[in-house]
Amino acid sequence: MFDLEQAISNWRTHMLVAGIKTPVPLDELENHLREEIERQTKSGLSETEAFKAAVQQIGAAQVIQNEFRKVEAIKEDRRWQLVQIMLVVFTGLFPILFASAGFSKHGVFWEMTPGQRIAAVAAAAAFSLLAWSGRWSYRLFPVISTKRTRDAIHLAYVLPVALWWMAFLCLMLPHYDFTVGQLFVTLPWALFPSMGVCAGLHWGMETAARKKVALARS
Amino acid sequence: MIRKELVAASAEPLILSLLAKGESYGYAIIQEVKARSDGKLQWTDGMLYPVLHRMEHRGLIKSRWAESETGRKRKYYSLKKDGKTAMAKHHEQWSLVHSVLAGLRKEQYV
Repeated sequence: MFDLEQAISNWRTHMLVAGIKTPVPLDELENHLREEIERQTKSGLSETEAFKAAVQQIGAAQVIQNEFRKVEAIKEDRRWQLVQIMLVVFTGLFPILFASAGFSKHGVFWEMTPGQRIAAVAAAAAFSLLAWSGRWSYRLFPVISTKRTRDAIHLAYVLPVALWWMAFLCLMLPHYDFTVGQLFVTLPWALFPSMGVCAGLHWGMETAARKKVALARS
Repeated sequence: MIRKELVAASAEPLILSLLAKGESYGYAIIQEVKARSDGKLQWTDGMLYPVLHRMEHRGLIKSRWAESETGRKRKYYSLKKDGKTAMAKHHEQWSLVHSVLAGLRKEQYV
């Protein structure tokens, strides 16, 4: 005896295995399937025949998923454009803002010697330069097409950097009795370059992967 | 049957033009296209949804979930301002292609 609900449930599983996401668009496709089955049964087909015809009409799961993947790629491209704009703005503004704060006569910076101020601002500049060097040298990076693998690699270098930050701030720094000037040189040099390396690796690897995809599309 | 390249190219202008009449959902859009083309414009039903999602992402249409009269949840699509502009452009371009083709055909019979 044909069980329509079971057949639809099996069809859903088949779609999920192909990579169609739930609830959207899978629920939308299921609604479509049910409407088509309803129309076919009203026109005289049995539930089994109507189900088979509707499944055929809706198309192969892999073909539909390939089309959805293209939509996802467009969305991903837009997101990356936004991230790139943010990276450009942040790496551009960071040393400028740091320098304007460092050379102001207000706040804690007034206690710093000119040499210390220059050293602190140089650390901020190093961050931006390291980040940009990743972008400029993207050709040297391996092309990793799978986003999941890239994310795993990003995590693999962000994690040690985060541990270094924690170790420095919680374990090492309390043992030193720095003056404000010394602190504002030590902190940026301990934190910013590692941050710059992370940003550079991310920027370089993502650019390398996207340039290859763009090349393949053209 | 119409070639699949032409079916693909005509999907966006057809969807925009149908939604210009009022909001609709995937199944109804497909049924209306079939009816208006006497079944000659055949889409693989599932392929409509990536097109709708792409158009939504581009800001041409928007969607909302609502319950139908039968109690079934449906995703309704409607036209946005950018969609109206895109539709006008499509009409202009398709009209141009049509007039060039019609003109050439006319000349063959002169």
